[in-house]
Amino acid sequence: MGDVLDPPELSSTSTADRRQLLRQGLLAAGALTVVGTASRPAHATVPPSAVAMRRPGRVTPVRDGTPGLPEAAIVALNRMGFGPRPGDVAAFNALGGSPEARLAAYVSQQTQPASIDDTELQGRLNAAGFESVDLSANPDTYLATLWDWYVNDNAPSGNTSSNWPRDELTRATFLRAMYSRRQLQEVMVDFWLNHFNVYINDSSFVRATYPHLDLIVRQNAFGNFRTLLEAVSRSSAMLYYLDNYTSSNAGPNENFSRELFELHTLGSENYLGTLEQNQVPTDVDGRPVGYVDADVFESTRCFTGWSFSQGIEGDGDTGLFYYRPSWHDRFQKTVLGVFIPQDQDELVDGRTVLDGLASHPGTGRHIARKLCRRLIADQPPQSVVDAAAAVFTDQWQAPDQLAQVVQTILLAPELLATWGEKVKRPFEVAVSALRAGEADFTLKMEDADTSSFLGRFDDTGQELFTWPAPNGFPDVRQAWMRMTPRVMSWRLCTWLIDFDDDQGRFYLDVLGQTPGSVRSANQLADFWIDRLLGRTMQPEDRAQIVQFMAQGINPDFDLNFNDDDTRDRVRSMAGLIMMSPDFLWR
Amino acid sequence: MHRPTRRGFITGCSAAVAAYAGTSFNTLAFGGSDNDDILISVFLRGGLDGLNLVLPIAGSDRGHYETARPNLTVPLTGANAALPLNAQFGFHPGTNSWPDGTGTPPATLYDLYQDNKLSLVLATGMDQDNRSHFDSMSFMELGTPGVLTTASGWLTRHLLSASNLPPELIMPALAVGNLQQASLRGSTEAVGMTSPDSFSLNIGPFDWRDAQRVALRNLYSGADSWLHQAGSETLDAIDIIELNSDGGYTPANGAIYPNTTFGRHLETIARMIKLDIGLQVATVDYGGWDTHNGQGSDGGGYFFTHVEELSRGLAALYTDLNGSGGQNYAQRTTITVKSEFGRRLRENADRGADHGHGNLMMVLSGQATGGIHGTWPGLANDQLYQGADLEVTTDYRRVLSEILIRRLGNPNLGEIFPGYSDYAPLGVVNGTDLTPIFGEGISSDGFESGDTSAWSTAVG
Repeated sequence: MGDVLDPPELSSTSTADRRQLLRQGLLAAGALTVVGTASRPAHATVPPSAVAMRRPGRVTPVRDGTPGLPEAAIVALNRMGFGPRPGDVAAFNALGGSPEARLAAYVSQQTQPASIDDTELQGRLNAAGFESVDLSANPDTYLATLWDWYVNDNAPSGNTSSNWPRDELTRATFLRAMYSRRQLQEVMVDFWLNHFNVYINDSSFVRATYPHLDLIVRQNAFGNFRTLLEAVSRSSAMLYYLDNYTSSNAGPNENFSRELFELHTLGSENYLGTLEQNQVPTDVDGRPVGYVDADVFESTRCFTGWSFSQGIEGDGDTGLFYYRPSWHDRFQKTVLGVFIPQDQDELVDGRTVLDGLASHPGTGRHIARKLCRRLIADQPPQSVVDAAAAVFTDQWQAPDQLAQVVQTILLAPELLATWGEKVKRPFEVAVSALRAGEADFTLKMEDADTSSFLGRFDDTGQELFTWPAPNGFPDVRQAWMRMTPRVMSWRLCTWLIDFDDDQGRFYLDVLGQTPGSVRSANQLADFWIDRLLGRTMQPEDRAQIVQFMAQGINPDFDLNFNDDDTRDRVRSMAGLIMMSPDFLWR
Repeated sequence: MHRPTRRGFITGCSAAVAAYAGTSFNTLAFGGSDNDDILISVFLRGGLDGLNLVLPIAGSDRGHYETARPNLTVPLTGANAALPLNAQFGFHPGTNSWPDGTGTPPATLYDLYQDNKLSLVLATGMDQDNRSHFDSMSFMELGTPGVLTTASGWLTRHLLSASNLPPELIMPALAVGNLQQASLRGSTEAVGMTSPDSFSLNIGPFDWRDAQRVALRNLYSGADSWLHQAGSETLDAIDIIELNSDGGYTPANGAIYPNTTFGRHLETIARMIKLDIGLQVATVDYGGWDTHNGQGSDGGGYFFTHVEELSRGLAALYTDLNGSGGQNYAQRTTITVKSEFGRRLRENADRGADHGHGNLMMVLSGQATGGIHGTWPGLANDQLYQGADLEVTTDYRRVLSEILIRRLGNPNLGEIFPGYSDYAPLGVVNGTDLTPIFGEGISSDGFESGDTSAWSTAVG
């Protein structure tokens, strides 16, 4: 059997020989088959490719590679989650008689995450044996525990490093994205953690308390923005990261207030620079249309004294939010046209600022656009942005405001009519591959395979919680389609199909999941295209997959799964599909 | 000096020949080329405190400085004393320092200043009333202050408008780091990577790697879309890197890079320059300059360490490139260092400083003139921007324009910096002056698009 299943001659060449071929422009030119044996079929011809980034006469392919619109289930499961697992598409399609009905039912479920059974995830989290994950549903209790264990080093297990909760949360975040059925919740938690970005390695305080920020965001992802905004503004992680914890009347620090306006609420689209406050035009309600530096400075005064308990001045050393009245600037202020008299009660100044920001239509527009950018397209249809912004502002005091906003976006007709405007980010590439491949992979602490996976993932440029600046990881294709994320995501995908434990068991078991009836190159290609993409490829692209699988053998003939080369090739083929353009569209 | 005389030869040099020639391609194709100058753009994310990197050491401004910065003041005596640059200004002591155990570098950044290889331009920036990191970075890198929606970066437009480049270049642009700088936004020829060592597809079941790679190439090159194009360019880049980088790298001339991400990124640039594969521009970021808190007192602390790493990196890069004969890359390399804005003169209560306005730019090159340039606006209250920050007296585009013209031979300022028209050389580098070509450029060439994403590669 070896004669028909042997790899092409080239594949057994040494690295050095291979480099020589590269030098001759053969590999690079996509002309590999020229040096294969004569019996090999020619691959689809591609324009001769020089090895130069700038070259004259570069030919643009004629065929349009823009993807067609997939069925509703594929759009929904990739936009509101991290891609389908086997069975997810059928379950989605069973939700109603039309795409719109299915979508409506799915959105309704997903925006009420507590109603969705999540036993499988819970089993995975339990199996991982985390110490700091899901310790308490009460944010204050959780924060105090994190502080006691990882700042004051009293963790009962003896694992007292502040790296411990960070590393556990990283693993739990992967597990939730991979195995939670509350997929939209995970998408929204990721969105809000980036919206309110905190660089986790800013200090050991932040590493220790970041999981508290995750909990706040998780509990409010479909709740009220004003509530979420205050909870985040009072979190130790944010207070530390943006320096407000030391801001006092004697020494105000404007870092938090600036990002509160520019990133968390109104956005720089509503920033009018260094105008005087009284030079800012007002809207029909008499409210300033935007903010100026003076608003940032006045707001800074409003938040003086917002700090956390860290063992000074009798504050108790709990890590909890702590208001320091003697640090507060007690005199009158004016922010966004609102006059704040002197000597207000505790926290009233800051809360007045948060009210003004959360209710401002500019905040609604800014956040609606960001949500639409996440859920629909980099340049989202203005109609959807406007509709979502109106709901955001009209409902700013509703307890389910954010659920309403998200529903407005997800049920807009534009959602199912848009595809291929975004590229998956590396986290989405990795998780969607693991989901589609039904990987059996429980990320754990002190596990070499987990570390190996995360090390490769981190090379993609999206190491979780580590964007240093307060604006969060970019959410536009310009950032993620370029080379480092691309190369490192490709490497990760083709590594995943080889990833096994010390017993030789594959975490993502391509062969084990290939049904016994699927043995010819055509069948193998179609099975794995459907499994990984949930839709068909263009015929020319499918032909590439089939040709790779067949290697010159009649694509209708069964291949021998007892042959190691064949088995390797099936896994490589699955990796190839994960590396294809079709796997990357969102 | 920048005449396109070699085009005839290049045009006849087929891709296959180019690839066959491998690393000697450049020697073959571009040897003695008229334009082989390289621009390296270092961006300090977060707002460098330029007032503590180059600080007043005499006169009334020293008094204003000490009064406004009782804790942050860099002293004139003692262990962390400022290093004199001239009678008026001093350099932060971190520019002449290295940690114990890292070896004595052949030259520090301060040494390079004294050797007239480093030009310092004071009080640069943009005439924009904006203290946002992200807006300011985007304005600066897109080369269009006040406009966030420009679809291409200024370096992209330089590469597109330069008429003195050969039609074929293996790797004209390199963006080091995980994500690409906005100065190269819209470029289809920039290679982005952190290191050549992992920039490859040598992974997966061994016997099928090559066949998989050919199929992958066909999948991306067989059809057209923005994603297909980006993937094809990435595959081209992988081919180039695999072709040209054989294993390890030893810095030349005793250069010692910091063993940090920034140091490794600079080393990657030197490595790519020395491959002679047509590199024209390279970009690299160094973050951590948003020092609202705990900047360090009396010339020491966090800022000292950060300046030390910056200075060691820059000096190592220069030293590594500063060989003799054909290895004297420093003579044709210009390193620019800038940040989105400076920091407030007055320190805050957290021993840091908040967002400011005018700032320092540095230009390091074998062709630098050295010395201090620009117009110092002074630190008295009535000399400050809004009574708080260092004023901007030199548009940052003026400094870059001089390098574009004198070093890179590209006078198309209208294309590169649309709307900028008051260029005159400051004299930070040597070179021949060309008449600037102003004009519309950007809109007429279709660079302007509806892109409103305002994306920035902020790392601060």
